[in-house]
Amino acid sequence: MSLDSISSSSSVDESTGLNRNSDLEPVDEQFGLLSLTEPFELEPNRGNGYGVANGSLNRERSNGEEEYERLTVQNREIFGDERPSSPSSSGYAGERGSSSASTASRIDGASEVDGDEIQEVRNDCSLEGFSDTQASAWVPGKRHVDEDDGSISWRKRKKHFFILSNSGKPIYSRYGDEHKLAGFSATLQAIISFVENGGDRVKLVKAGKHQVVFLVKGPIYLVCISCTEEPFESLKGQLELIYGQMILILTKSINRCFEKNPKFDMTPLLRGTDVVFSSLIHSFSWNPATFIHAYTCLPLAYATRQAAGAILQDVADSGVLFAILMCKHKVISLVGAQKASLHPDDMLLLSNFVMSSESFRTAESFSPICLPRYNPMAFLYAYVNFLDVDTYLILLTTRSDAFYHLKDCRIRIELVLSNSNVLSEVQRSMIDGGMHVEDLPLDPLPRSGSSPHLGHQRVPTDSPERLPTDSPKRLREPFIGIGGPAGLWHFIYRSIFLEQYVSSEFSPPLSSPQQQKRLYRAYQRLYASMHDKGIGPHKTQFRRDENYGSSHKDLQQGLSMGI
Amino acid sequence: MAKTRNKNIQAKLVFLGDMGAGKTSLVSRFVRGQFSDFQESTIGAAFFTQVLSLNEATIKLDIWDTAGQERYHSLAPMYYRGAAAAVVVYDLTSSESFERAKKWVQELQRQGNPNLIKFLVANKVDLEEKRKVGNEEGELYVKENGLYFLETSAKTAHNVNELFYEIAKKLAKAAPSRPTGMRLHSRPQETGRRHSSPNLSNIRLFHLQVKWIKIKQRNGFSASETPTKHIA
Repeated sequence: MSLDSISSSSSVDESTGLNRNSDLEPVDEQFGLLSLTEPFELEPNRGNGYGVANGSLNRERSNGEEEYERLTVQNREIFGDERPSSPSSSGYAGERGSSSASTASRIDGASEVDGDEIQEVRNDCSLEGFSDTQASAWVPGKRHVDEDDGSISWRKRKKHFFILSNSGKPIYSRYGDEHKLAGFSATLQAIISFVENGGDRVKLVKAGKHQVVFLVKGPIYLVCISCTEEPFESLKGQLELIYGQMILILTKSINRCFEKNPKFDMTPLLRGTDVVFSSLIHSFSWNPATFIHAYTCLPLAYATRQAAGAILQDVADSGVLFAILMCKHKVISLVGAQKASLHPDDMLLLSNFVMSSESFRTAESFSPICLPRYNPMAFLYAYVNFLDVDTYLILLTTRSDAFYHLKDCRIRIELVLSNSNVLSEVQRSMIDGGMHVEDLPLDPLPRSGSSPHLGHQRVPTDSPERLPTDSPKRLREPFIGIGGPAGLWHFIYRSIFLEQYVSSEFSPPLSSPQQQKRLYRAYQRLYASMHDKGIGPHKTQFRRDENYGSSHKDLQQGLSMGI
Repeated sequence: MAKTRNKNIQAKLVFLGDMGAGKTSLVSRFVRGQFSDFQESTIGAAFFTQVLSLNEATIKLDIWDTAGQERYHSLAPMYYRGAAAAVVVYDLTSSESFERAKKWVQELQRQGNPNLIKFLVANKVDLEEKRKVGNEEGELYVKENGLYFLETSAKTAHNVNELFYEIAKKLAKAAPSRPTGMRLHSRPQETGRRHSSPNLSNIRLFHLQVKWIKIKQRNGFSASETPTKHIA
């Protein structure tokens, strides 16, 4: 089992191309490797569907659920053992107010929020999912177009992303007008080619607090300049995703344009896609899928997901390559044709593309797209239709003339989904708002505990009424402000086998966007260090974040890399 | 409704033209009666259906609103293949857009069905003060190239319904009761008079007392009506 896990986790490294540069990434001084902890147990009930998309991607995965169960059983035992050592969370809520933690990096954290895109939600201390809160407040599209590298405001931005060609022509810039940044692009290109001329490759340049990360993809150069203290691996992974997003729109055959004409100007080809990139970059600050290379599912009752999976499977059998039903960034169900498997990064890029483009919401669309992990050279054709404001269906095919067939498929799917109440269940799950640590059972032993959310999952679909005990508000009350049982604040669990993750929603005390973003960044660092090629991969890690509030609260993070 | 023993015609109509010319706005104005000042770029192509009932026929239009960005250009044949009518739209405040429209017309003449009903549409006539492409230029071009011409404004709805009804009428005429192929008028009709003077064909149009059914594409064509499919 553990051998399995280790090999799997290192293969994640390979597949994501994370390439560690050993002189970087000083493990954050505020964190020390202290002891072991285990991931929190998530899903005691087989098949109640948190995270198991029904209708597996391929045949091998059909054992997924058993595997899943096995993992959780082990977890449960370990959890039982570990629990007594969990730190007490008492008194935190009281001390939170007196937060004198104005240490340097805390200020950094806060000012970073200022400079970054989530400032709009600072006043919104809603306890809803962070992502939801953000999604409504975040302003899509390119901002600060008037800036260039001469503007002070431009220079002060915390995180820049650039795409340029190997002749130094700007292709994309997160801030400012690409054409005005031609000189700056040429400088970046000069740095890269200077090092290349010496037979070497530049990966990272550190300049004070700034990291400049380079990624060369044939004739395309990608550069990130950041002072967000994110690990090199994370920034590099983000550049990989930006490149993937570009490939999704254009395919890798754009390389040929550069072969024909090295001075080729690519900007016209990307016209109108600023919003796609800005939304992807925004997701780097809230969506765990961007660094753990897994997707997440909308919590649904087993039977509901089965109903959705069955009709998608039906459609897939009729010559559709992938049928994907999603609600925002969460998967409802996903089915692939035989032997076709969809990489989580492709799903991330595809759903980002669909959700960020308003055009898909207004009509049925049929659009060429490329899945970089599936085949970076070829277009697939995507039929996209929003079934309601958040729920959308993507049908992918290799045939450019399949529109009417896919349209018929959608009509069939929509009919089945509404007849079997899947769409209303989906909406209810959205309103329920995911999992909260407060809802976890107090006593770890009786698995039949009265967790409202887990309990809710067990409600058979033929009796849609909720259980009488299902009253999240009342049960949550005792924990307000101190997290869930044993002081647990938040968890993420990733199943390597399923390429899926589950995470809890942000609950108090993680209520401010700054705190949430700090936690998110801490997960990022943890993930990077667990997959460190030099000293890892590690099965377990315990980190203590002295800086998290002034109360020396321990922040436990168990990122499960296997067991 | 106006379901006489008329023929039912299903026809594919494709919108082409430069990014920002107003293709989506025109379609959206016609299909939904809506206009947005900040219409986002279309991705790939969006599909709409609309049923028009003329006296002589019921016409179900499958409308393909294609994306104007350059990256989709090479994929355009996928959308205009099999189309019975095409509308090439340009923005009359941009000569570049007009040049692009000419390229689309050339491509259609080269690749498209010879019987294709082709309209050239100068959109944004509400922006008269910013006009860069004169009405005469459009008129001249269509005369030389055998197209129909209209100046429209998706914003004010000027000539938008007229555009679709003109297309529908021509489709109805072109499609005989027995499907033996389409005939195209050898010369463009007097569709594109100066928009300041009353348009003859428009007046005729209003006298047709056409009744048309709006069907929201999502609510389903099948739910409210199932015409016998007859591909024009």
